[in-house]
Amino acid sequence: MDSLKAFTDNYNKNDRVKIMNRDWDRVIMIKATDVESLHTLTLKKGQLSLKEGHSEDPDLTVISDSETLADIFYGDITPTEPYNDGTLRIMGAEDDIIRLDFISLLIWGE
Amino acid sequence: MKLRLKRVLTLRTVIATSAGLTLASSTFVAAVQVANFVLGDTAWIAILVGGALCFLAAACFSELNGLLPSAAGIRLYFNRAFNEQVSLTVSILYMLVVIVGVIGAESYIISTILNEAFPALPPYAWIVIMLVLVTGMNIRGIKIAGIFQDLITYGLMASIVIISLVALFKVNFQLSAPYTPGGATGIINAVALGVFLFVGFEWVTPLAEEVTQIKLISKGMMISIGILSVIYAVFTVAMTALVPKEVLAASPAPQILFARAAMGSTGAAWMIAVSLAATITTFNAGLISVSRFMYASAREHVLPAIFSKLSMKYFTPWVSILTLFAIGLTVSAIILTTHRYLTLVKLAAAMESIVYTMAGLAVISLRRRMPGRPRPYLLKGGNIVPAITTLVFVVLAAAVMIEDPWTMVVLAIALLACLVYVNTAVPYMKKKHQARKPQSRRRPVRAAEGVEGRK
Repeated sequence: MDSLKAFTDNYNKNDRVKIMNRDWDRVIMIKATDVESLHTLTLKKGQLSLKEGHSEDPDLTVISDSETLADIFYGDITPTEPYNDGTLRIMGAEDDIIRLDFISLLIWGE
Repeated sequence: MKLRLKRVLTLRTVIATSAGLTLASSTFVAAVQVANFVLGDTAWIAILVGGALCFLAAACFSELNGLLPSAAGIRLYFNRAFNEQVSLTVSILYMLVVIVGVIGAESYIISTILNEAFPALPPYAWIVIMLVLVTGMNIRGIKIAGIFQDLITYGLMASIVIISLVALFKVNFQLSAPYTPGGATGIINAVALGVFLFVGFEWVTPLAEEVTQIKLISKGMMISIGILSVIYAVFTVAMTALVPKEVLAASPAPQILFARAAMGSTGAAWMIAVSLAATITTFNAGLISVSRFMYASAREHVLPAIFSKLSMKYFTPWVSILTLFAIGLTVSAIILTTHRYLTLVKLAAAMESIVYTMAGLAVISLRRRMPGRPRPYLLKGGNIVPAITTLVFVVLAAAVMIEDPWTMVVLAIALLACLVYVNTAVPYMKKKHQARKPQSRRRPVRAAEGVEGRK
């Protein structure tokens, strides 16, 4: 939860990212596989909000173990590596997956 | 909890995507090559056998895709089944061969067709126009997908069937020796090249994350191979029944000769439109897939970081797309000068056979490595199907390379280059990235050891 909060706070502090995503309204569900943890990130008109619990019909669903999720949302690792070795699973359209990765890159850098 | 997504793809679109990726202008040229390896109008036998073999490969991909549903596709399957180095080497080689093979062969064929129809512009000018168009579409993030993809693919298939039936009607459905294909060598080579007709059917597996029922992907692949087998068989037989094989084989655009013979100038114009649509959809899909692969590879530091640059406006990997544009222009110029487009067709057929061989091996390996993991699609009969797939495609890859030694030489050089790259450049880039990484992690350290608790 702390990593998602850090991600949300850093996103909302970044005006450039907010402007870029003002037309990209998406619901992203984050599910941990090893602990009971389900959160929803909602992006609406460029603003990102976080809530606990699941969402009906998310656009993207991010699934991994809690350690990997924390590393990703703190920006300590790029999502590509766990994605390519199967540790991370993202369900949704490919373009949305790239956009999410790009947001992470803009918030945290390389 | 059952996972649901807002936007999900239907079976109709999965079939259209799978079939659409295989339908290209070079398909018609490959079909004539298949016909040339066998006697009379018997190409249909080789094509149906090729389709049946691709069914085996599709079954292997279905099990892999169900086990590891990811847009990363073979990169992930081979990583888990073999190791990171094998996965990376094969993935880079595959992308390289596909982009060089598809752009090189397609651009040669389509530019010849357009130059014949509109001689005012030289062939290379057509290539530049097409590549600029598709590159622009890619940078703008315009995808030929969904209903548009359905319309194009089903329209292409219907056009091919109609023109073929008109041609067969013209020859009163009389075929020359339709059941005597000749010697075994000819048949093996015909089947090996016949596999090329289906190249790309498995590129639908990255859609695994856009469907809610994973079995839709397997079903879509199988149906698409079935439909394409019949369409290609009818089309190839109609071509050789109406136009002599020597005439077809001497042309880089046999489909136009055939359509003109079947329906006059209307047929030729129709076939030009069909070829143009087939090439643009293939270019577009190829550029999208390979540029996204380059972007993801750059993000994991196996390609230079510059390839991960995204357009701030369209969120597309513009550096990767422009690099592919430059590669496309170079390859096309080489092929236009050397006229060796058939080598590229055979190169792609051999590479595809190698990937199918590895898919069979990956199924066997993952059954040992991940025995307990759920498999929504499980091949029955133990390891028989994956073992047959492996064996058959090894033979087919060898047949293509023995028949055209240039294919073997080019593939061997490309493999060597990829191996050297993966073993020298990749470790260097990863090391460089590690050194540049901030020493302290952003994530606070666990409470007991001084760090954050679990999420």
